[in-house]
Amino acid sequence: MNDVMGIIYTSKDDLTLRELTSQRAVAAIPVAGRYRIIDFTLSSLVNSNIHNVGIIAQKNYHSLMDHLGSGKDWDLHTRNNGLFILPPFLTRENGGEYSGVLDALRANFDYLRRSRQEFVILTNSDYIMNTSFEPMIEQHIKTGADITLMYKKATPEITEFSSSSKNNHCYINVGEDNVVTDIEINPNAASYDNLYLNVMMIKRTMLIYIVDQVISHGSHDLYADVLRPFIASGALKIMAYEEKGYYRRIETIRGYFNFNMDLLKPGVRDEVFGSNPVYTKTRDYIPTIYRGNAKVKNSLIADGCVIDGEVENCVLFRGVRVAKGAKLKNCVIMQDGYIEDDVELENTIFDKAVTIRSHSRLIGQKQYPIVIGKNITL
Amino acid sequence: MKKKKCIAMLLAGGQGSRLGLLTKVMAKPAVPFGGKYRIIDFPLSNCTNSNIDTVGVLTQYQPLELNSYIGSGQAWDLDLSYGGVYVLPPYMTAKSGEWYSGTANAIFQNISFIQQFDPEYVLILSGDHIYKMDYNRMLNFHIQNNADVTIAVRPVPWEVAPSFGIMNVDEDNHIIEFEEKPKNPKSNLASMGVYIFTWKVLKEYLINDNADPNSKNDFGKNIIPNLLNDKKALLAYAFTDYWKDVGTIASLWEANMDLLKDEPEFDLTDPRWKIYSRTPVMPPHFVGENAVVETSMITEGCEVHGTVRNSVLFAGVSIAEGAVVESSVILPGSRIEAGAVVRRAIVSGDCVITANCQVGEDEGDIALIGQSTTLPEGYVVKAGEQVDTDEITRREAAGK
Repeated sequence: MNDVMGIIYTSKDDLTLRELTSQRAVAAIPVAGRYRIIDFTLSSLVNSNIHNVGIIAQKNYHSLMDHLGSGKDWDLHTRNNGLFILPPFLTRENGGEYSGVLDALRANFDYLRRSRQEFVILTNSDYIMNTSFEPMIEQHIKTGADITLMYKKATPEITEFSSSSKNNHCYINVGEDNVVTDIEINPNAASYDNLYLNVMMIKRTMLIYIVDQVISHGSHDLYADVLRPFIASGALKIMAYEEKGYYRRIETIRGYFNFNMDLLKPGVRDEVFGSNPVYTKTRDYIPTIYRGNAKVKNSLIADGCVIDGEVENCVLFRGVRVAKGAKLKNCVIMQDGYIEDDVELENTIFDKAVTIRSHSRLIGQKQYPIVIGKNITL
Repeated sequence: MKKKKCIAMLLAGGQGSRLGLLTKVMAKPAVPFGGKYRIIDFPLSNCTNSNIDTVGVLTQYQPLELNSYIGSGQAWDLDLSYGGVYVLPPYMTAKSGEWYSGTANAIFQNISFIQQFDPEYVLILSGDHIYKMDYNRMLNFHIQNNADVTIAVRPVPWEVAPSFGIMNVDEDNHIIEFEEKPKNPKSNLASMGVYIFTWKVLKEYLINDNADPNSKNDFGKNIIPNLLNDKKALLAYAFTDYWKDVGTIASLWEANMDLLKDEPEFDLTDPRWKIYSRTPVMPPHFVGENAVVETSMITEGCEVHGTVRNSVLFAGVSIAEGAVVESSVILPGSRIEAGAVVRRAIVSGDCVITANCQVGEDEGDIALIGQSTTLPEGYVVKAGEQVDTDEITRREAAGK
């Protein structure tokens, strides 16, 4: 076991994801047929032998709690350590809401102090990445860094669907020996192509100290009030670690849609699922049943579906029914969707349990897929 | 400690020799079924759904696969602090140590296990059948009728009755006669191998049976006839829903094919009676650009690029472009390569059917490929043949 604990920060509801986040955190958005976004982060931590994970929950965390349960699907239901869900709470010092990651950490000092691990990996949970943190842990310990930031070379595919609201997009300059020499927060035109992935490693006691210092001086921003000044002053040894695997931050509907479509490429599937298992809540659905009229091409399909129609370039989640005569092209249909007979759908995202009645037609554009919210009957 | 009203004992030690190569490396209850299940999932899920939370699983033959599958029992909600699932292999004592010599002997050797729960009733199950049954209803029937033992029975077609244990009953469902595989059956009510005993009575008969040196220590051959002779209250509990013995390669194949019908007789989708299983951690399955998939059952981790019709694919199976799989059952992790044709066959787990192999035929008996077999390229397996690595070596040696 690594001497490292994980803290996953789940952001507040993000309006750029429209209906998908109207009732849930970004981390809880269903992706890839049977997962939630957070499964990737959580599995990466567990697969890196990290068995103490705190999840900072914010608004709308009900679906997150429901999904995570006791943590047993991630083998995090142990006596020592395990999974800790940290929702905001109301006390004299806390307002019942976190105003940022530093605020959330401060509210959970008890948990941080009680944990025994020497190091913390602090990560967001609005991205898809199936990786091992072990090389970063090794580099951090070997180099004696105070903070290690995980980054990736920013390619157009990665930044293409960034939210226009510029929500903590940081670029770092990596100097000799992987030392971070500059950080740009939400630049319009970045000077560097090293995208910070919002994953950092730091000593637990140092994190507690820094959070306490920064907040007691009236500052609240991890990026502007912690990383930037420390990088500028050189008071701390801040190192960079380059991640080379598949990474997509899910910030917009198009980004969400494109990630799901990306999974239909064999190379991407290998990168996302090939190396380490991705754990998720088990549901006990039966295998998917294909009936006599099924015509399915280039699609990713979870268990529990019943297909008697035509499906092309789609991602179907668990328990989706596609009736005879229905035609689906470039669609993402979440759990328990029901596509009745002779329905035609193109470039459409259905949230959970959407029913579309016979003979309907819904054609979106690839650049602007139609999104139908949860539990709606059309 | 708190008493349990009823606990279950599941006889899972049988070899199931009629399943040929399938049970060479695993006990019959561990044999996979229906895309993501194993036979034992059915009695275990029935227990959980019937609120019977304590199950002893008696293992003997090839227990490794079964033990690791059952694990802590978490998949069936049987990982409890008091109760849950217990795997009970034969064991040594200071004086002796012996294998389970028969079904009754297996229970006899575990009397002290049962005694620690101090149950009123004991449900005896076998791991041989595919069915959904509420054991609680049967228990209520047993209690209402003040029975000493209740045997679940099912009407079978008269022509196959001679291959079952047949119960002759009076109008009050009292069993008046029991015949093991009778030539001229007087009734068509077959024993399902599901018994509920009043524990006090069973314990007494198990002890007496063990003292009898001529006994075969078997429920059907000894315990039940002895109870009948002593005019104990034996009742028949009629069960009429789907119940399938999957003890042969043909019947196992057929039970899988039954699931593919438009209105399957056996419905696995009922949310009120879920069948639980250990789910492998795998992504959704992928169906490729040129794949054809019709009337089939496919589960997580599969990659299908070829043609699949009327077939059941288990987790992690891959079908290459240009491969054809029809009316077959492909067990977990097997790979069918380009140009291979698999028809009316069961391919065991972790096999590789290499390019241009032909397994099975359009007619005739079901072909079977044994666990972890890699067929040489272009190999032909005829209808009804069973082939594994040993068999290939044997054939090659004979050919030279």
